[in-house]
Amino acid sequence: MKMRNTTTRLMTGAAACAVASVIAASGAVAAGNPLLIGLTSDASGQYANSGASDRRGMMMAIEEFNSKGGVLGRQIKTIHIDTETTPATGSRVAERMITRDKVGFMIGAVSSGVANAISQVAQKYGVVYLNTNSSSPTESGKNCHRVKFVWDGNGKNFAQAAVKNAVSKYGKKWVLMTNDYVWGHNTSKATRSLAEGAGAKIAEEIMIPQGTRDFSSSLLKIQQLNPKVVAAAVGGDDQKAMRTQISQLDMGTKYAWINNQQDWPDVYGLPTKNLFGVFGTTWYYKFDLPGVKEFNAKYQKMYPHTKMKVPGNVFYNGYWATRSLMEAIEKAGTTENHAVIKQLEQLRIPAAVRMQHDDAFMNPKTHQMQQTVYLARANLSSKDKNDMFEIVAHASPATVKDGSADTTCKLESFADTPKYTP
Amino acid sequence: MDIILNLLPHLVNGLALGLLFALIALGFMLIVGVMELINLAHGSLFALGAYFAMSIIDPNLTYFGTFGEWYSGLSLTLRYVVALALAPALVAVVGMGLEICMRRTYGKKAEYGLLLTYGAALVIEETIRIVWGSAEQVMPIPDAVSGAFMAGGMIYSNYRFFAAGFGLLMIFVVWLFLEKTPYGATIKAGAHDSEMVRALGVNLTRLRLLVFGLGASLSAVAGIILTPIWGLRPHVGVDVVIPAFLIIVVGGIGSFWGAVIAGVMVGLVVAFSGAYVSEWSMMSMYLLLIAVITFRTRGLFGKKSSLEL
Amino acid sequence: MKSSFAVSTPVITKPMLVLFAVLGTFPLWGTSVGLYNYLGVEIVVWIIYALGFNMLLGYTGLPSFGHGAYFGVGAYAYSLSYLNVFESVWAGILFGSIAGGVAAGLVACFLSHRRGIYFALMTIAFGQVFWFVSIKWHTLTGGEDGLLNVYRGTVSVVGADISLKSNETLFYFAFAILVAVTLLLWRIVHSPYGKALQAIRMSEMRAGFVGYNVWLMKWSVFTLSGIVAGLAGSIFAIAQESAYPDVMSLHASGFIVMMTLIGGGFVSFWGPVIGAIVFFVARDFLGSLTETWLLWYGLMFMGVMLFKPEGIAGAWQDFMKRRATPKPSKEPVAGE
Repeated sequence: MKMRNTTTRLMTGAAACAVASVIAASGAVAAGNPLLIGLTSDASGQYANSGASDRRGMMMAIEEFNSKGGVLGRQIKTIHIDTETTPATGSRVAERMITRDKVGFMIGAVSSGVANAISQVAQKYGVVYLNTNSSSPTESGKNCHRVKFVWDGNGKNFAQAAVKNAVSKYGKKWVLMTNDYVWGHNTSKATRSLAEGAGAKIAEEIMIPQGTRDFSSSLLKIQQLNPKVVAAAVGGDDQKAMRTQISQLDMGTKYAWINNQQDWPDVYGLPTKNLFGVFGTTWYYKFDLPGVKEFNAKYQKMYPHTKMKVPGNVFYNGYWATRSLMEAIEKAGTTENHAVIKQLEQLRIPAAVRMQHDDAFMNPKTHQMQQTVYLARANLSSKDKNDMFEIVAHASPATVKDGSADTTCKLESFADTPKYTP
Repeated sequence: MDIILNLLPHLVNGLALGLLFALIALGFMLIVGVMELINLAHGSLFALGAYFAMSIIDPNLTYFGTFGEWYSGLSLTLRYVVALALAPALVAVVGMGLEICMRRTYGKKAEYGLLLTYGAALVIEETIRIVWGSAEQVMPIPDAVSGAFMAGGMIYSNYRFFAAGFGLLMIFVVWLFLEKTPYGATIKAGAHDSEMVRALGVNLTRLRLLVFGLGASLSAVAGIILTPIWGLRPHVGVDVVIPAFLIIVVGGIGSFWGAVIAGVMVGLVVAFSGAYVSEWSMMSMYLLLIAVITFRTRGLFGKKSSLEL
Repeated sequence: MKSSFAVSTPVITKPMLVLFAVLGTFPLWGTSVGLYNYLGVEIVVWIIYALGFNMLLGYTGLPSFGHGAYFGVGAYAYSLSYLNVFESVWAGILFGSIAGGVAAGLVACFLSHRRGIYFALMTIAFGQVFWFVSIKWHTLTGGEDGLLNVYRGTVSVVGADISLKSNETLFYFAFAILVAVTLLLWRIVHSPYGKALQAIRMSEMRAGFVGYNVWLMKWSVFTLSGIVAGLAGSIFAIAQESAYPDVMSLHASGFIVMMTLIGGGFVSFWGPVIGAIVFFVARDFLGSLTETWLLWYGLMFMGVMLFKPEGIAGAWQDFMKRRATPKPSKEPVAGE
């Protein structure tokens, strides 16, 4: 194995090769002055399906603006790179989009780890970033940033909506199932303090390590404890496996289950039997509110071949985040980041426009959208296979407010946020 | 007495889980044991089997006219049985295709073959995504094995015990095949001394093709049996390779009963840690591995293998 | 690797100069071919990591599939030191490298009398243990969110304070470390110690008969590659301004094996360098082009393993051999 005399040529060859392969990629600088938006939703990993739905929502909003001449007269273009449900990749993608592709704004996230990583890079450059669909309380708490805006309800919001009533309605003996990572811990902590505040006793908190596929021993344990209520903060693929196993045991009806949010792309097409207990959502396509029918029709017209025949909460968040950003830019009359941030901080959307039951508004201290939170359960009597949810209650933004976020979130000052004008 | 009553359900559950783990490891074991090849595509073949089966049970037959109507009219149980037979056969074909590619790496470093199967795993998973989409799906199962039953005040899932029973059956079938048929004897001989087999006039090329096809179809069977419990998504197989790997090593490479016993051990460890120290239930199998390998270099029943070199 | 170096190994060789010249000027030409400085930083980080890893895989023939653990330990150690102890880049890097080495050294105690597949499996098991601990011990590591806000500091080099805030300066900083690591590892592989490692790869038993302390050799090379991984992890933490658990996952540990093999770590010292470059540039290119980039990526691996398992370095060597002999003979060029 000779190395010395061949490697000189080897190195130059490799460099030439690398150069050639990227020249091909770099020719895509468009004419005119379009506004480029970086879409950072996941296309592989456990949130691939939600990421696709998220992206469809963004594209529909962008399409609306482009068809009426763009924003501030500029056509909107997009670039999408897979963030692989991996924070380290999120960092790299954000660096690439900002420094190489020169995007004006970045939109999209389902995983809170990825949202975190992207927002840290975005803050460094001052690029406004919209976290569309990650519902970890830390996103608008400990890890909030001046450039980041969060559009989904978080674990604490849903706990507020669900827990208090459940104690008086179902009973005082509770078991918590907690996914053993930060989101799970935070959500269960909120549930615990609310439940205990209402007089419940937590008999046990069962920790579920991330990546758990077999829940049989936890489910046996629950049967041995025999509580009245089980509050589960289990997410991602773990939750999907758990759901199947609970439905096989018909345990869904034996206890009062309180789940966190169920994302539409995660449940669409499954038998309604798999949807057990009460769970949260921020929007449902069957709302009897003005504009909803037109919204659904537009979705079906734009995505006739998608397996998901009706829009869901993930799509809705992607759509609204993007639309609100465009409106904020138009209101500000500039794409300059500080002006756009200030507009977004004052954002207020009337209920009738947003197709929810209460007015929604941005909390300027945490950058989390304050919106109506809904509790739903499976619609067992439905004949329509799209109509899977039955909305049982809705709670106004004030009643579900994540109170601790105002103190844990410390936004960077405008002076510490670099100016950026795409 | 109370303690025993409390432990008993977890023991039963652990045994059932253990048989499922053993089932997961079977296909992997055959390929490692005979061909001394770490098949990282095991998980993807597992998922592929499940997707094939789902399409066979609940197909889109609009283009097949009367045949489609006739087939859709068959009972779910019948279609399930068809899927259980046909899907592994289809996956066996895919596996054999992979083996034909593998031939170029024989006689070279083991890492090369390993990386080839890794590439294949990516390709298969991505193909599944393209063909079936990335959304969660449900594989229908016959009513006879779904639902739940009560025993000692606890609810158990019928399907889980059907699956464990099926796992036991597959273990028995594979054992019969290896011990009581001439093919099995050749395969076992090939595992120990490939030159001897060749000298005896056995076509080694065909033997390897057969073993790989068989291993792939066993991966598919495990996928069909397990996805009704785990749920079906393109990357479902990712969670399979590591336990399979681990079971083979704990049991000892090349040992059939080692793998079965290790599978049951892993099942028990996971079940008990899940019940009493649930936050360690994922880590427990790795700790088991480290404990076993620290004291027994070649696992419980391992024989000397060229993979050690 | 037959020794044509018996006389004396030069400290600096021609390929090194070419590598340093091409890579060292990356910020000057990178953007004009559609790359970006941050990608350059990551490539340099992974080259360092891969060079250290190849000491283990390519030179000693020990496959470690859980090496992300030491890279991750380095990143965490850097971040913890920077956030809680001294706000010093050098101290963080030192701490990160030591931590990587200590973690690897501890694990190596369990591994060094193992061979082949059992060795590989134990590395996976330990890698998973580190990964779980990093997620579970969230008071120390920040759980799956990781340690955040590890802002890039300033580094003092011969009296001058240089801020690492821009990707360009960070690139030059990382590159300087790469130069040092390359020179060091090149020395090591051409020392008697390096020869002994290769003897172990050829046959562990024979190396033992000749009188090498095989256990100690394996332990030390594992620890060494852990130190290098920890060093690379520290720089990665600077680049990302965070430390995340997912660099410790099995998936990420697999990447380093792939890079090393694709490049041709078994046949050339430079294999890992080529592998890391191809891996990142291809991923960046495919990832922005298509959503099904994993499919093409998978096909690329299969292609390399099917047609040139000795990797790109192997293919290049064959090509040069063929060119060197003007009338190529019919016999196939066998990879050794």
